[in-house]
Amino acid sequence: MKVLVPIKRVVDYNVKVRVKADNSGVELANVKMAMNPFCEIAVEEAVRLKEKGVVTEIVAVTIGSKAAQEQLRTAMALGADRSILIETEEDAQPLAIAKALKAIVEKEQPQLVILGKQAIDGDNSQTGQMLAALTGMGQGTFASEVVVDGDKVKVTREVDGGFQTVELKLPAVITTDLRLNEPRYASLPNIMKAKKKPLDTVSAADLGVDFAPRTKTLKVEAPAARSAGIKVASVEELVSKLKNEAKVI
Amino acid sequence: MSAVADLFRPLLGARCLTDEDSLKRYGVDWTKVWAPAPSAVLLPESTEEVQAIVRLANEHRIALVPSGGRTGLSAAAVAADGEVVVAFDRMNKVLDFSPFDRAVTVQPGVITQQLQEFAEQQGLFYPVDFASAGSSNIGGNIGTNAGGIKVIRYGMTRDWITGLKVVTGKGELLDLNKGLAKNATGYDFRHLMIGSEGTLGFVVEATVKLARQPDNLTVLVLGAPGFREVMRILHAFQSKIDLTAFEFFSDKAMSHVLAHGVARPFDGEAPFYCLLEFEGSSDGVMNDAMALFEDCVEKGWVLDGVMSQSLTQASQLWQLRERISESISIYTPYKNDISVTVAKVPDFVEEVDAIVQANYPDFEIVWFGHIGDGNMHLNILKPADLPKEEFFARCNNVSKWVFEIVEKYNGSISAEHGVGRTKKAYLGYSRSPEEIALMKAVKAAFDPNGIMNPGKIFDL
Repeated sequence: MKVLVPIKRVVDYNVKVRVKADNSGVELANVKMAMNPFCEIAVEEAVRLKEKGVVTEIVAVTIGSKAAQEQLRTAMALGADRSILIETEEDAQPLAIAKALKAIVEKEQPQLVILGKQAIDGDNSQTGQMLAALTGMGQGTFASEVVVDGDKVKVTREVDGGFQTVELKLPAVITTDLRLNEPRYASLPNIMKAKKKPLDTVSAADLGVDFAPRTKTLKVEAPAARSAGIKVASVEELVSKLKNEAKVI
Repeated sequence: MSAVADLFRPLLGARCLTDEDSLKRYGVDWTKVWAPAPSAVLLPESTEEVQAIVRLANEHRIALVPSGGRTGLSAAAVAADGEVVVAFDRMNKVLDFSPFDRAVTVQPGVITQQLQEFAEQQGLFYPVDFASAGSSNIGGNIGTNAGGIKVIRYGMTRDWITGLKVVTGKGELLDLNKGLAKNATGYDFRHLMIGSEGTLGFVVEATVKLARQPDNLTVLVLGAPGFREVMRILHAFQSKIDLTAFEFFSDKAMSHVLAHGVARPFDGEAPFYCLLEFEGSSDGVMNDAMALFEDCVEKGWVLDGVMSQSLTQASQLWQLRERISESISIYTPYKNDISVTVAKVPDFVEEVDAIVQANYPDFEIVWFGHIGDGNMHLNILKPADLPKEEFFARCNNVSKWVFEIVEKYNGSISAEHGVGRTKKAYLGYSRSPEEIALMKAVKAAFDPNGIMNPGKIFDL
């Protein structure tokens, strides 16, 4: 069984994001980039399925500039067999990404597409769902457990107040939630091997997808600074403030 | 007890604490060997108040103990004999920043992490970092010349202090070195103050140099078949790459951290592990690191290894090292913080290990430390069925043997934790009688009545 794992290059989770002076976006110059954490979970799940003997080939794919090759190499160091870069300088939005992925799905014919439930930059949580709709595949989103059984896959989803288990017919789209697994570290021998694994580049134009943005970001602002806390002298004062100022009791 | 507090109350009012909770909290550090028993806790808010406190204490011969984050591991900030604690909690402001000098002037109660974050906001970096950075204060760092995990590249606290304002035991205010990079005008009292554990004076202001931010810090965790191989790995990497950290820990340390919930770096096991950090700022450096890794594997020095792929992973890998102390704290560990020159490390460790194991086969020894600087933390864990007092008594015996070996190797009985009370009896293993006599003379010059943190480092 072949698995396609779309991944995204985003600002490293540990970087304190700064808003650009002109409020047009966040500062990306000289900022450390890394694989989206939910995508790491997607890669890990694919690798575990391969280790269990369910999956035979893992193909990682990303959309972005040449720099995104770095994240594809990471995916291959973690266990992806080969990877595809859909190269574009445009800031690709979920619909365009889903359309481009559809083109790759048609070419590669994977039985499973595993992606992160959202990217920590745009926080859209749309790509997986749009891809499922465009390709007609079933979708199991926000997965916390994935069990492949013959031509079906059971996906346990984290929903408000509990879990929901859905059964999908393969091929299917799965998006990963935080608790699905704990991604491993890339071992140094595998990082070296990954350098020799195939990485194909496709230009976005060749896929016939229009990458022109459909939404426009008007303004990006930092959250309002919180004012400092105060110390109260007594329980009575605290209660009075909670009652009269905060109005929470 | 209240008489002493009454002396200071007119000066500080409600900022003179005598309640049981405060006395207990402020009278103790992380050692927890001595029961806290200060007679009062003072919370000055200005240099003038510190001077007034010291003058009053001097007049009445009252012993003062400075207090910051109280994360010390040698009981230098312990007040167990009715001393008055001078806590710098309220003197916690960043006073000035000079972008041209890349220097920041802070009060002593600024928390290390607060300084690190301030530096980051300026696009700069304060490189002195250690596990307790979230609680420890700059004043305390200066008092013990704190080191930590980046010493191999950035040096100790001493290397970053360009100016100090200090109140001496006579209540005088000294303005030392004034932030200058170059100043060849006789004795540099600044460096005398750094590492003096509050026995000469109390720091009321410090000017701290900052560095440029490191670029793409990358972490490797490697497994090695033996301790000598760890040193070979260090030597190999240092020949090509400027390491910002080189830490080692034993399989025992690893097993405690894993049991504490930190994720395993790789499947295989190894008797020793090392953590390397460097700036992966170019393909060249990254290629060098890979080539070095390959070479070390070929030579049999490395069994397996992982490399961080993001800053997030880098900080997760650091947990393997940083959470050791926390993960073994339930075993009431007996801690030693010793150093020798890097070249002597393998022989030294072998000798210490052999002597402890031969004499106390029931003790579990956990080694870890900043091996790139020749600094090792030897931790002996208390067997569950052994009473605490008996355990520490037996460990004190171990200390004597260990320190004899330290002396033989010309090492230090306290690499970065200071002497305080816990290492006082052993100072002679690292410093000569002539040196100790001179230390006492120096103390007498700055603190003629012996009121500044008495009974720490040495007894008069």
